[in-house]
Amino acid sequence: MTGRLPHVRWLALRLGSAVITLLGVSILVFAAMHVVPGRYDELLLGPQGLPERRAAIAAQFGLDRPLPEQYVRWLGATLSGDLGVSMGTKEPVRDEFIRRAPVTIQLTLMATALSLLIGLPAGAAAAFGSTRRLGAGLGRLLGATGLSMPDFVLGSVLVVVFSTNVLGPTVGGFVPFFQDPIANLRATILPALTISGFGAALVIRTTRDAVLSALTEPYVLAAVARGQRPRTIILRHVVRNSAIPVLTVVATTVGYLLGGSVIVEQLFGIPGFGNYVLSAVQHRDYAVVQAGALIAASIFVVINMLADVSYAWIDPRIAVTQTETR
Amino acid sequence: MTALPNVLRRGLPFAADPLSRLAMLTIIALATVGVIGPILHLGGDPTAIGGPRLAPPGLEYPIGTDTLGRSLVPRVVEGIRATLIFASVAVLITAVIGTCIGTLAAYLGSVIDEIVVRFADVLFSFPGMLMALIVSAMVGPGSTSAVLAIILITLPLMIRVARASTLRVANRDFVVTARVGGASMPRILLVHLLPNIAGAMVVQATYALSVGMLIEGGISFLGLGVQPPESSLGSLLSQGKAYMTVAPWLVLGPGLILALAILSVNLVGDGVRDAFQPKQSQSLT
Amino acid sequence: MNDLLSMANMVVEYDTDRGPQRALDEATLSVSRGEFVGLVGESGSGKSTVGLTVGRLLPPNAHRRAGEVLLDGQAIFELPVESVRRLRREMLAFIFQNPIGSLDPTMRIGRQVALAARDAGDAQPPTTHLERVGLPDAERVAASFPHELSGGMAQRVAIAIALTGRPRLIVADEPTASIDATIRRQVLDLLFGLARDVGSGVLFLTHDLHSVARYCSRVAVMYGGRVVEDGPTAHLFQNPVHPYTRALLASAVGREGVGGHVVPIAGMPPVLHGPAAGCAYAARCSWAISRCRSERPIREIIDDRLVLCHRADETLSGKLVTQETSADA
Repeated sequence: MTGRLPHVRWLALRLGSAVITLLGVSILVFAAMHVVPGRYDELLLGPQGLPERRAAIAAQFGLDRPLPEQYVRWLGATLSGDLGVSMGTKEPVRDEFIRRAPVTIQLTLMATALSLLIGLPAGAAAAFGSTRRLGAGLGRLLGATGLSMPDFVLGSVLVVVFSTNVLGPTVGGFVPFFQDPIANLRATILPALTISGFGAALVIRTTRDAVLSALTEPYVLAAVARGQRPRTIILRHVVRNSAIPVLTVVATTVGYLLGGSVIVEQLFGIPGFGNYVLSAVQHRDYAVVQAGALIAASIFVVINMLADVSYAWIDPRIAVTQTETR
Repeated sequence: MTALPNVLRRGLPFAADPLSRLAMLTIIALATVGVIGPILHLGGDPTAIGGPRLAPPGLEYPIGTDTLGRSLVPRVVEGIRATLIFASVAVLITAVIGTCIGTLAAYLGSVIDEIVVRFADVLFSFPGMLMALIVSAMVGPGSTSAVLAIILITLPLMIRVARASTLRVANRDFVVTARVGGASMPRILLVHLLPNIAGAMVVQATYALSVGMLIEGGISFLGLGVQPPESSLGSLLSQGKAYMTVAPWLVLGPGLILALAILSVNLVGDGVRDAFQPKQSQSLT
Repeated sequence: MNDLLSMANMVVEYDTDRGPQRALDEATLSVSRGEFVGLVGESGSGKSTVGLTVGRLLPPNAHRRAGEVLLDGQAIFELPVESVRRLRREMLAFIFQNPIGSLDPTMRIGRQVALAARDAGDAQPPTTHLERVGLPDAERVAASFPHELSGGMAQRVAIAIALTGRPRLIVADEPTASIDATIRRQVLDLLFGLARDVGSGVLFLTHDLHSVARYCSRVAVMYGGRVVEDGPTAHLFQNPVHPYTRALLASAVGREGVGGHVVPIAGMPPVLHGPAAGCAYAARCSWAISRCRSERPIREIIDDRLVLCHRADETLSGKLVTQETSADA
């Protein structure tokens, strides 16, 4: 009848929806930059900008043209890869982002892996042990603590502990992975751990809720009534049916992390995306801020769209509803 | 979600949920300290400079002193007040705006609904801290920036929850009956819809509060939020950052208090949510 | 014992916010090999709990306070869990009220049937099983997902899965409640027909008296967590002894004569929080005497059935006559 792949029409709708959201993101970023007092070209170049460069910008973005037209020009420039020029370095912003991308990606991957490694088993265990009062209360407390510990507090604690004692992991001293893997890992493990604290707690809670929810479904009762062993039921039915909420949380977290974990990068001296945007804000380098916002939000939208498509593959009921219900 | 559950109606919050009850008491305690503490100069005078510099926690200075010899206790008390006030104000604004927008969008439907949903999606796509950075870049560092950032970050979820709850309730028979009976829209909204979505909104508001405190702490930590002479828990952390390795209490004191506050709010939120939707369990045996 | 299923004096309570709720208050029931027994009662009478208890499938918030269940002579509540699972695999089969819900929504039908068959040691392809339950175009159904089927088709699939293991007892809990009225008969014909072919007994939980009359040789009537009357279907329906059974039959659509009335039973079924002090039906019974309110009735053999009523012998001797039958002109 229908294959696992969702209807082409549904896919097209999802894609179209993502494109519209991306457009909305670009409009918001554009509008935000034009709310800032001061001329746009000054923003991009700073008051010391060379007149020729300033004139070039004025021409490129049509600064005396009506706003919607400016927007279109700006959008066109952005889509063709021109993200502006950094006021500080006078280099194209895009290049610096590309240079820093691997760092943030590495941190994101490590943090996500840690969150899943800790969170999935813990969440599942919490779900299966949930009938016991004490276990449930303790699990709840631990989970809530993980969600409540700000990364700047946890990170600070780790900084204090690991910078005063030589214990292996380092604070700072980042080195690209392919240059020196060991040093790189020693410098990235602490920030990754810090980020993963929140992520792990989120995964624990979501996994627990999703598994519990799946366990109360009638088809689980039917499987138990057929005499299936718990392990079989879990592997055959529960895993797939509780995957979607967990995937949602993972996708959201990854999407956010790829926008750079600003605080952690700053604390541990990691030259990533977030650190770049932070220093740009502190130095009023608006071209960087603007580009950073655009990139981060766009990545988030794309990742979520991919996640949506994967949901439809897992649970075929999803693609059946033509209208999106949120 | 139905209207207020028996738990809240009886006026005994969390009678069956000791953890949430403890959390609620903690929040009340912190709020009380924050409100009357600075007035009563609880813990001492925050401007008194005379003490030993960077003294570790002890009997006389329970949380230690900073580089100027000020006891950290009154500063933390001020910090609690600032953090709680800014986060609460922001969440209150978000709750009001979000509920209005979300409910109206769901009720009016079609184009307005689409636009609102898109708007929420767009806002939601910006990672929290990044949004805070953008806001402070636009508005300039300060407490306004922190409050605005919290509003923009927590608004999308508030809109979504308001909209989803309204959609769930609006098609129920009693609402349709009221509409057919000629009740005016404001009346339907106030009398029928609002009480029934109140539960979901309260849960969402408590989570927004914990997010708000996290964001305020984060952005102040980065130096872009609350500025001296005001101090929030986050800005205290920012000031103590430089001396972290020699005087960790400068960071741990405010930091753990902040974590405790956020934890309590989260537990209360969980408790309220569980009161509405108790979880059934099933055995695999 | 040659009983296939024997439940004796079962007491089951559920934990709720308002304290324990007693669903079964000494329920006794039996099914012989190959026998079709109907269990009827209003919602809340404890029917579903009986069904779950038979398979030891009670949720964690339910507690067995007393009584036992013997399946083919084995006391299932004394057995280790793995043995219970084996019994479920080899002896029991369950059909539930929501057929689509009882299937995994993320797995194709064919695969679910194949897995069930494989667990039961049956090597036939899923299409064979699907054809056996009268599903046309078995290939297409096998490739479908549960939400793409109608309620009737899904229940046929559930029956197919249930019968892969050649069960000795099928427990069907309101199997046609969520199915179109026009298809109900077909599904029930299928269920009972296949059960007969396989030699399996059926415990049929329902409130549909007509179906019970059509398919079941014996019927048990439940009220307030107890079986108040238990006997051969035809005779019981013609001459009910227990006051509740009488009232139930009088309130059933289709039995009244021309110009007659369908008389609903006044009052509400009880919600028990502990053992009922007397007879649970006393509050609604037209013939209740003070003894009924204070003393629990014990099972008596009246004629060809078991009855739980202090005044059962009076009913039979005709002394107790309903006001309705005397008023009918």
